[in-house]
Amino acid sequence: MRKLKRYASLYWLFLLQRFKVLMEYRVNFLIGASSTIFIQAASLMTVWVVMGQVPSLNGWTIDEIFMIYGLLTLAKSINHMFADNLWTLGHEYIRPGGFDRFLVRPINPLFHLLADRFCHDGIGNFLVGLVLVMRGFENLSIPWSLGNIAYLVLAVLAGGSIFIALNLITCVTSFWIMNSVPVTLAVFQTHEFTKYPLNIYGKMIGVAMTWLIPYGLASYYPASYLLGRDVGYMAWAMVPVAAVLLAAGYRFWLFGLKHYGGTGS
Amino acid sequence: MRSLRRYWRVYSAFAANAVKLMMAYSVWFWVELLGQIFMLIIFVYFWKAVYANTETVSGMRAAETLNYILIAQIVAPLVRWSLILDIGGAIRQGTVAIEFTRPVDFQARWYVEWTSQMLFQAIRLALPLGAVAMICFGLRLPADPAVWGYFIVSFLLGNAVLFCFDWAFACLAFYTTEAWGLHILREGVAAFFSGALLPLQMLPGWLQKGAAFLPFGQALNAPVSILTGITPVSQAPAVIGTQLIWLVGLFLFSRFFFGVASRKVTVQGG
Repeated sequence: MRKLKRYASLYWLFLLQRFKVLMEYRVNFLIGASSTIFIQAASLMTVWVVMGQVPSLNGWTIDEIFMIYGLLTLAKSINHMFADNLWTLGHEYIRPGGFDRFLVRPINPLFHLLADRFCHDGIGNFLVGLVLVMRGFENLSIPWSLGNIAYLVLAVLAGGSIFIALNLITCVTSFWIMNSVPVTLAVFQTHEFTKYPLNIYGKMIGVAMTWLIPYGLASYYPASYLLGRDVGYMAWAMVPVAAVLLAAGYRFWLFGLKHYGGTGS
Repeated sequence: MRSLRRYWRVYSAFAANAVKLMMAYSVWFWVELLGQIFMLIIFVYFWKAVYANTETVSGMRAAETLNYILIAQIVAPLVRWSLILDIGGAIRQGTVAIEFTRPVDFQARWYVEWTSQMLFQAIRLALPLGAVAMICFGLRLPADPAVWGYFIVSFLLGNAVLFCFDWAFACLAFYTTEAWGLHILREGVAAFFSGALLPLQMLPGWLQKGAAFLPFGQALNAPVSILTGITPVSQAPAVIGTQLIWLVGLFLFSRFFFGVASRKVTVQGG
């Protein structure tokens, strides 16, 4: 418990430092924070144009699709804001040799890596997701009950953890191959599937995005639950899956760390 | 004649180098291919679900739309240029100063490099993607050589248009000294208005008018519409004429603006 408090206050200090740096370049901060909105706008406008002409996509209305899309974007934004530095482990830390710095400090190296750079680009994603989900609650008259809000928070946190855990697992490969970005990207880009209802795809893709690379647990199932579509216990599957993946990711990280020998630079 | 030979020698060396640079990062190629195959799958299922309840969307039938989307997604990675980031990077790091002292035209050199990389990408990425689309998703390609001829001309012209636009747009980095935001803004607007995600013909009237004022459709929607037959062969010369007007206008503007903006070089003490 004391350890947790220490790390929380440490994270706060790191964040403060980071914001001091970001505020030196205010325009860049604003551009970065809003950048992801432009990228999302293209997909959202496509859905909007198409869905304006057909009543539903395999039984999903435009509001419901935006709900799925919004939940996924929220989960993704958690990863984007707080764990984006995982991407850079290979080319920013290990290859130049800066990673050794983490190993001689009296804090957990993984914590240090994550805390080193809060990524403001994720704020845009967070806002897009938030607007889409709030819009969904309004348009589909989902009650803003305490239970629903708690479920929403849980789903987003668990979904974000699934994103973080999968990135962690793939990024650890940089302990061996120096640059893990292509590996991480190969897995990460499959999340595109889960922006839309999983039941429009063939069964194989649905199963793969639920059990193999479970991004679907962050969008399709929580959205179904909030919309009152019965998905049974699958509405809660993101919690244990996120926990297991995080634990596995951390184990793998420790394993990689043991094999880390520095680059000699 | 002699100077023509010199041009050829100089610029073909730049072209060869650009391609070699790309080949050095082969892992990226596989990841990009995989990602693009994912996009093909997503779009095919998305549009199949759209057409499950309706015969036509904006007058376009399912087969027509699917064919358009498949080709658009095969062509899209070819026109996903990061020119703005590269020029912005050159400005930021100060290497742009070296470019000014070189005895070759800065813009021409970059155009040659970019085009050669794009053509290389077309062989390396578009061919396998096309094969996947034909085998798995029933992509149909026209047999008429005239259509192919118009497509290729329109594709090259459209890309030259985009190159000139990006060039002029990237010159804003001389003032902002920051290219990332410009790049992202351009990516987002282009993703939608190039017609990579849906045929521009499907947009509501006011958005179509907006799209016509932007150059992005020239690089993707125009050639892909010719190849899929959405634009009949008889109208192809008119499309190419429009592209030529775009090209001349943007070429002149990009030269002019570069001349003005480059006087504003700020070297960041790096």
